[in-house]
Amino acid sequence: MTKTNMIALGVLVVMGFIPFFADSAWLAVGTTFLVYSVVAFSQDIILGRAGAFHMGHAAFFGLGAYATAILNTQYGWPILATWAPAVIIPMVVALITISPIIHLRGDYLLVATIGLNIIFIQVLENDLFGITGGPNGIFGIDVVRAFGYEFMSQTNMYYMAFILLGITLFIMKTLDSSKFGRAMFYINKDDIAAQSMGINVRYYKLYAFAIGAGLAGAAGSMFAVQYSAVSPEAFNVLQSIMFFTIVLVGGSASLPGVLLGTIVMFVLPEVFREFAEARYLVFGLAMILTMILRPRGIWPVKFGDIPSFLKKGTK
Amino acid sequence: MKPCLLEIKNLSKFFSGLTAIDSLNLKVQKGQIYGIIGPNGAGKTTLFNCITGIYVPEEGEILWNGVDIKGVPPHKIAELGILRTFQTIRLFSEMSVAENIMSGRHIKSKQKWYNGIIPTPGYYKDERYNWEKVGEYMDLFDLSQYAATPAGDLSYGVQRKIEMARALAAEPELLILDEPAAGLNENETKDLADIIRKIQAMGVTVMMIEHDMDMIMSLCEYMTVINFGAWICDGVAADVQDNPAVIEAYIGIEDEDE
Amino acid sequence: MDIFLQQLVNGLTIGSLYALVALGYTMVYGVMKLINFAHGDLVALSSFVGLTVYTNMFADGGTSIVAVITVFMFTAAIIAVVGVLLERLAYRPLRTAPRLSAVVSALGAGLVIQNSIMLIWGPNMKIFPSDLFPSTIWDINGVVITFTQVMILGTSSILMIALYLFINRTKMGTAIRAVAIDQDAAKLMGINVNKIVMIIFVIGSALGAVAGLFIGIYYRGITFDMGWTYGLSAFVAAIIGGIGNIPGAMFGGLMLGLFNALISGYISSAWAETFTFMLLIIVLIFRPTGILGEKTAEKV
Repeated sequence: MTKTNMIALGVLVVMGFIPFFADSAWLAVGTTFLVYSVVAFSQDIILGRAGAFHMGHAAFFGLGAYATAILNTQYGWPILATWAPAVIIPMVVALITISPIIHLRGDYLLVATIGLNIIFIQVLENDLFGITGGPNGIFGIDVVRAFGYEFMSQTNMYYMAFILLGITLFIMKTLDSSKFGRAMFYINKDDIAAQSMGINVRYYKLYAFAIGAGLAGAAGSMFAVQYSAVSPEAFNVLQSIMFFTIVLVGGSASLPGVLLGTIVMFVLPEVFREFAEARYLVFGLAMILTMILRPRGIWPVKFGDIPSFLKKGTK
Repeated sequence: MKPCLLEIKNLSKFFSGLTAIDSLNLKVQKGQIYGIIGPNGAGKTTLFNCITGIYVPEEGEILWNGVDIKGVPPHKIAELGILRTFQTIRLFSEMSVAENIMSGRHIKSKQKWYNGIIPTPGYYKDERYNWEKVGEYMDLFDLSQYAATPAGDLSYGVQRKIEMARALAAEPELLILDEPAAGLNENETKDLADIIRKIQAMGVTVMMIEHDMDMIMSLCEYMTVINFGAWICDGVAADVQDNPAVIEAYIGIEDEDE
Repeated sequence: MDIFLQQLVNGLTIGSLYALVALGYTMVYGVMKLINFAHGDLVALSSFVGLTVYTNMFADGGTSIVAVITVFMFTAAIIAVVGVLLERLAYRPLRTAPRLSAVVSALGAGLVIQNSIMLIWGPNMKIFPSDLFPSTIWDINGVVITFTQVMILGTSSILMIALYLFINRTKMGTAIRAVAIDQDAAKLMGINVNKIVMIIFVIGSALGAVAGLFIGIYYRGITFDMGWTYGLSAFVAAIIGGIGNIPGAMFGGLMLGLFNALISGYISSAWAETFTFMLLIIVLIFRPTGILGEKTAEKV
């Protein structure tokens, strides 16, 4: 088993057992970590693997969250029924909005995705069609109900997020060992060579965006239920910058790197609330220093995950 | 008469006033090793870029098995069976040799879009089959010992082999080589020539740009000489070597005063 | 018609400010291919620094040309130094690193500056005194134009023309353009690239400082986090006009200012940013190098 697989399994095991030791407050932190790591991984698919400069990912996260919030509070849908829209709506929005700009040069795509995020926030804050709730957001989101049972406790939430992370890691593992995941890497490393090998760059970048948006949407739905409320500031450009940074500072396409990045960016501030004021100052300095000292990230990805029968004759 | 595999008809390519290719004509027959020679800057790489879809020529036709493929995007060109290597080696240098060659299997893989998310029995079979194929190509080029090594860590000569193995893994009908011997020493060049002959024996047609005259003359049955983007002459090695226009293109006119 | 003309005046004023800021972005991007995400925060910093300089140097209030010029020059000097430090500490070590690493560093630097402003001056909005410029107003057929607006339009125009002449008519300007086209070739020609980069940051920061002060004087209220959004809009303006190119930044800035003013006047200012970015995306799709930009080809 490769080192990455071992780390993934180890993390899942540890996270799986935490509810037996932790109190409700720590479980909440843990749930936050699980949800945000799913979003970080979904950003990693787009930025770390396919190499698209995407700084608007919080919008997809928010689309999923708001889909659940709106369908549940305004139209009375049970939470379970909102899961499919929470995944599909961000995917569709991604395909529609990114298609016309996917060919743009890196920096331009970057600014365009920021723009899409900002447009999303304005739609939320301006209470479009009266359903998006304005700057204060939407309150009173329900809990998951199934088989006549109410999944209300923090432990319930935790395990739902845990399962989502498990699914995410499984999807990423499958992706990496498939023609699609490999195509994304080839595009990232040298898109002209990739094209010459028959890889349709546009198709695979959009594929990456679609999967990334879908996963982020699912995480968004979890987020909405966890906090029983959604508001625009949880999905603004600053959050997108955080997700972008997590991937690059942790290590693009690196499973341990992205997890490490998520811990640093989201969990530590929860833990060190007293330093909240200077929090962004410390982040900023950390970002600069990390890039200078480890430009490829704290825990960069290692390639070479090939079937063992090919490794037999190697030095 | 058998239709040729690749025919270039009156091809012209302009870059903001500069004529890079000027009404060029040539015919490549199936099974040949065809040479494209000419001084630096003659437009040889530009020609290859037009064939492989990186540039779109302004005039003329590029006929592949009789069908015009001018303007077809690069990834579709590969699907049609035309693969290439680059003048400056373009490997995925952080990735292992095996992973590099696996990119050649991309167009041969039968995985469906959902296999990026969900594995199916067909997916496992497809992965196994293609990795085995990668193994075969590595054996063919004597690269198996480097299977897990990052391609960028290896010597230039080996990297060239990897690039060719990668292109071959896509099972092309036509393999386009852009200065494959550039940067290689004498032994490596001899190895390369043997490999190219082996490729021809496998049924692949080869088109190559080269400056190494010995190599070209011994390998290529037929060649076209280009200068300033235009045809200078074409023919078999012996004829081209003695053609005064060719000599002039490379060396220049003899100064009358000397 | 009155609304239109009024918005024209307002729009050109705002546009001039965007243009001054956009110039800082476009010069850095043109030479280093780096989006200086910290530039907007530098502009915000200059508003705060300017305010402090003014209140400390001229504590008894009172406006005079000398006072105003002193404040502007002092602030510009301080911000220029900060800009050079920014380049030296956050960007130079990453000149050869992958592009994305420099982007993260720039974002980090922006956060550092923004957070520093908050720690030094507090999280609340600060108000600029209203007596830096006279409050004279001119009313021309129902269209109002203030002294401040005239100052902004006038000063920006002078600075932009001066910059244009500098870049295109002086030896130093030619060196800058050379470095923008090909750093290595420029080095081989004996140009000291480090010095050129430093000069660019000095000029860009100084222009940004002027903009920051004007922003404070014009809008009166300044907050520590205003730099990010303002800077982003200015960068968008630079892209729309044509990145890496001085007239492009000027044109883009003015155009964006007008566009914003018209949207705010005729539709609603709550949707201003949405329209700005939709404009950007449309421009990028149809004219990817910007309206005044030049096409460059990549050699394969």
